Amino acid sequence: MGPVIQAVNLTKRYPAFKSPPGFKEWVLKLPFAFRADKKPLFTALDSVSLSVKKGECLGIIGKNGAGKSTLLSLLLGTSHPTEGTLRVEGKRTPLLELGAGFHPDLTGRENATIVAVLLGLTRAEAEKKMGEIITFSEIENFVDAPVRTYSNGMYLRLAFSVAIHTAPEILLIDEVLAVGDESFQRKSEAAILSLIKSGVTTVFVSHNLEAVKKIAHRVIWVHQGKIREEGSPETVVRNYHQFE
Amino acid sequence: MNFSNRDIQRKFDLLVLLTHKEFALKYKRTTLGILWSLFNPLLTALVFFAAFKVFMRFQMENYTFFLLSALFAWSWFSSSVIISARSLVDNVSMIKKVIFPRHYLIAAVILAQMVHLLFSIPIMLIIAAANGVTPSWIWFLGIPLAIAVQFVFTLGISLAISICNTYFRDIEYLVGVLMNLVFWMTPITYPMSAIPENYRFIALINPLTSLMNLWRSIYLHNTISLNDLGVASFMAVIFLVIGLALFRRLEKRLDEVL
Repeated sequence: MGPVIQAVNLTKRYPAFKSPPGFKEWVLKLPFAFRADKKPLFTALDSVSLSVKKGECLGIIGKNGAGKSTLLSLLLGTSHPTEGTLRVEGKRTPLLELGAGFHPDLTGRENATIVAVLLGLTRAEAEKKMGEIITFSEIENFVDAPVRTYSNGMYLRLAFSVAIHTAPEILLIDEVLAVGDESFQRKSEAAILSLIKSGVTTVFVSHNLEAVKKIAHRVIWVHQGKIREEGSPETVVRNYHQFE
Repeated sequence: MNFSNRDIQRKFDLLVLLTHKEFALKYKRTTLGILWSLFNPLLTALVFFAAFKVFMRFQMENYTFFLLSALFAWSWFSSSVIISARSLVDNVSMIKKVIFPRHYLIAAVILAQMVHLLFSIPIMLIIAAANGVTPSWIWFLGIPLAIAVQFVFTLGISLAISICNTYFRDIEYLVGVLMNLVFWMTPITYPMSAIPENYRFIALINPLTSLMNLWRSIYLHNTISLNDLGVASFMAVIFLVIGLALFRRLEKRLDEVL
């Protein structure tokens, strides 16, 4: 079977941030506005190629700022590569920032419905799944209260629960396994493991090397925007440890 | 509504939910709630009635009826454009972390603002009756038609403005001021005939003129001005094409500017 994710030479450059010019500076520069000046660029990701097979779980490790999250947002499609090509087959479900799309003034149920539809369900499907979503998130008594009244843990549990109940095909996870208290952490880890077992393709970014070793089938180590090493979880994690 | 195609169903549901969210949040923490959608056009009508009938003593027959026949449509347009200018900027977390058609956010703003317009129709009905005009079947045909044309036009403008505002945040402030200028440049508070012959071309190249004239022909004269309908539809399609093209092109770099 061919790969579900196939990325060739992905490069992402961002315009390096500089504070906006003051009015005087802007006026002085105006006569040269049409001259093609070279803007300073920051290369977050430098020709990265990778492929992920169906049902595989790929772990991505690396230091802060290495380009892991940039890579994940390219795979998700919220960001477009400056160079290179990317082919993804199947529905992508992000587990990036939990609660993205939640509005504090809407109730848990309203938010869950909207996010479920955003993540690929129809409204009828979302409403059918709502019981499961609520039970898993353990917020039964608060589901019709606005989420601004929720505790941090309740908020994250609901967001996590919605995402995993939207029939994901490709799951893109960025460091969200540490959700809620210990018992919920175990529960959410088990839920992700069972999704992987059922054939969901997963790309999993984490600093938790133990979790990576446990879950991932293959690991990529990203360093300064490039792939430094790729291979079995044990080997790559060991070398990464030594490097640090 | 039910569609046989799952993908269309999902997109429809998404648009409905985003619209509902936009609308529900508007008055969520007010006491009067949805009643504001009725009061808003009603109070607007009163303010303009007071301004032109009581203070300025505009000499024109049926002036309130004349004014409101275009004013409610204008309010829909201007509030949609002003609110949607910020809607990409305000939904950063959703745009950066979830994939979905981003232009739905803009369409949802316009649809949510449309509720005011719908609430203004019964008000127009009463005012028409008070002015001795009996609405005919033309209203049933003309109003949905005018709404559709105006929706397309507003969507085109709003798409362009909202995406440009993510690159230059100055635009949302500019829009607020320009909206005032456009309001007075469009024959809303005054009839076309009040413009001196030499300057009438300014009103004619303004795409909102034909739209407002279309609304007026329906409400005031119980006809659908085919001339205005044609020009307004043509403009609407042009603006939508430009707006969509700009949006498609610039949204690719949305993650870099938000």
